[in-house]
Amino acid sequence: MKKLANTIIATSIAAASLMAADAAITAVKVDADLSNVSYGSKVWESAKFSEITLYPQTTIKMNDLKANELNAANKAKKAQVAAVYNGNEIAFMLKWPDSTMNIQKGQSTTTYGDGFAVQFASDASKPAELPYIGMGSEGRPVVVHIQKAVKGFYEPNGNGNVYYQLNRNQTEVFNDELAAFDKKVKNIGSNDYERSFVSEGFRSMTEIKDGSNASYARLGYKDNGWRGTLTRPMKDSYVDLHAGAIPVAFAVWDGAKMGRDGLKNLTSWVSVKLEGEEGGDELIAVTGEQVAGDAAAGKEAVAMNGCAGCHQIEAADAANLMAPSLSNIGGYTTAAYLKESLVNPSAVVVPGYNRNAHSNYMWYTEDNGKRTSTMTDYSWLDETTMNNVIAYLQTLKAEVE
Amino acid sequence: MSKRQLAMVMDLNKCIGCQTCTVACKTQWTNRNGREYMYWNNVETYPGTGYPKNWMELGGGFDAAGDLQPGVIPNLEADYGVPWDYNYDELQHGASFEPNVEPTWGPNWDEDEGAGVFPQDNYFFYLPRICNHCTNPGCLSACPRDAIFKREEDGVVLVDLDRCQGYRYCIAGCPYKKIYFNPKISKSEKCILCFPRVEQGLPPACAQQCVGRIRFVGFLDDEESQVHKLVHKYKVALGLRNDYGTQPNVYYIPPTESPAKFDAEGKIIEGSTRLPIEELEKLFGQEVHGAIKTLKDEMAKRKETGESELMDLLIAYQHSDMFRLDNNYYQEVAKAKGQTPLAPVDTRYIAGKHTDTAHAMKFFGGVTSHGGH
Repeated sequence: MKKLANTIIATSIAAASLMAADAAITAVKVDADLSNVSYGSKVWESAKFSEITLYPQTTIKMNDLKANELNAANKAKKAQVAAVYNGNEIAFMLKWPDSTMNIQKGQSTTTYGDGFAVQFASDASKPAELPYIGMGSEGRPVVVHIQKAVKGFYEPNGNGNVYYQLNRNQTEVFNDELAAFDKKVKNIGSNDYERSFVSEGFRSMTEIKDGSNASYARLGYKDNGWRGTLTRPMKDSYVDLHAGAIPVAFAVWDGAKMGRDGLKNLTSWVSVKLEGEEGGDELIAVTGEQVAGDAAAGKEAVAMNGCAGCHQIEAADAANLMAPSLSNIGGYTTAAYLKESLVNPSAVVVPGYNRNAHSNYMWYTEDNGKRTSTMTDYSWLDETTMNNVIAYLQTLKAEVE
Repeated sequence: MSKRQLAMVMDLNKCIGCQTCTVACKTQWTNRNGREYMYWNNVETYPGTGYPKNWMELGGGFDAAGDLQPGVIPNLEADYGVPWDYNYDELQHGASFEPNVEPTWGPNWDEDEGAGVFPQDNYFFYLPRICNHCTNPGCLSACPRDAIFKREEDGVVLVDLDRCQGYRYCIAGCPYKKIYFNPKISKSEKCILCFPRVEQGLPPACAQQCVGRIRFVGFLDDEESQVHKLVHKYKVALGLRNDYGTQPNVYYIPPTESPAKFDAEGKIIEGSTRLPIEELEKLFGQEVHGAIKTLKDEMAKRKETGESELMDLLIAYQHSDMFRLDNNYYQEVAKAKGQTPLAPVDTRYIAGKHTDTAHAMKFFGGVTSHGGH
């Protein structure tokens, strides 16, 4: 059974790679130093911008009542993205429309900043087995860079300087000395909310705080939209981007809709061709693959096989806590991922809700930390049905706004 | 569920609403660094809006099927109130006395208002609240980053500030709204049950400073502890809003004493009570009837016979009679974790199930008089 499944994957990839697909994004090789690239840098004049689509995350539903109301009818967003590289560093620029500039400021419990993230796979050597799009999966780590519009925040321990955690009224100083105290407090705060994370599935996301992950991100608002840039080394202890093509994923948050964490729009893995480098055809084919199948027949097969017993299938269907919602699955996954999930549901187990939050709905069982999906294995489906089902799943996505 | 559970019992008959607990907590933990607006401990007037405003209407907690319910995150200006201060420094230069922020709302904005018509049937009582360190915490269940954990050794619920990313789903998930967003560090913070004090033999600041002596602290599995006796043996201490499904570990002795109502001529209506039992049922469930009966029966027994273990417990002749902190236990936990156990700073309240009665000898040469029973 398993062997048959693997054959299906192998054949369809072979079929797909026969078509000379174009990468979603072309990274232009430049000579310039990219370490301090910002959205205003000259280097972007030689870059090629491509259009990508970011779909609303609907895999799991968050528990913020107001935010859920604001995000109930989210649509997909188009963004422009470009990449440049010089052999040591690679830089990305993302331009996306946002009619409101939202900055998370101090003195508020209910404001949220706009922002963006870029995700890289630690290992992209098997394009059909890329990490799960939602911040990686067990054994398939990703690195995520996040830049958010947050004004002035502090380290919880004041970088070890407890004195400057005091309320100004409790200091023993007055007048000029108090002004100096205020100034010092302001200086030890940070105005740049740029963070890097390593993650094997969204619950496990852990901030890299030891400086082992160099990056430089900028964010600017202009003409009803944001421009965000990220530069990082091609190789560090987490990822190696020296390849013909690399998979990258993008996400954007809208603070006006209380966006943070899962309340975001995201892309599937998109391929970035490194201009002038050999290889990467398989990755480009896999990330761009649209399965040739009969979506209408696939919809019937989905209904026949009882998928709706656990999954919310289309956005109009009732929510179902038993499994990830599939209402935007076609927007942010590859065909290879969908195949893998059908034939081997435990290959990637979506971390889901905290197990305490919906204790009657077991997405997976856990034995010594090893997660096994509770989903039925559909590797017995014949090839035509499999392709029809995947073709249907690929149609499940919100329309573009 | 943790291995052991530290719990607090608050006797609402004794709370005088003096806010000493609030101030003890504030000066210890929340007067600085973005926590200025937070009250990890607050005392609200019930019935009233509470803190944050109308917290009981803001969702969170679990339904009967055990599913986490969505909730609303309170707003600083409208629901908590922006803390204000006055221009004391400028008064000497002739300035008029002004607040730095126009006060529009704050905790206890409606203190002592209560409900009913004065003087016929007005009523209220005080409801002190801290984090309930729930057995099934709504905040923990809501966190998509697994940043909230319940300590194995004593069930204290804490936020791992390294993991916390300031998403605030925990605030929506907590039905008691006892976890707060710190905008200065963009992370969530909450009552820590003064665990650094408890580990060193001191009760939580709110409990040690309580002038009404309403707060008992101990381990629920320690059959000699006051909290065990009040919660499990006599069943007079009840969780607040158990219907939220989080299994809170702060328990309340419901108010049993309430004056009679007055008629239109200002005369006492014999046999009437001002405090409607429905209000207590809403807060503490149907069990409140049994608890009140036990309390009244024991009061009567004490009156007749002069004896009642329950009344002795509630009177608490010595403040140290209200706490059974288990220092030896924490010492063992520290050793098991490969940490250096800290010596207690005060041995008066140490008398737990695992605590050697002669422990005081080890640290202070046996100079204390209340070290164990």
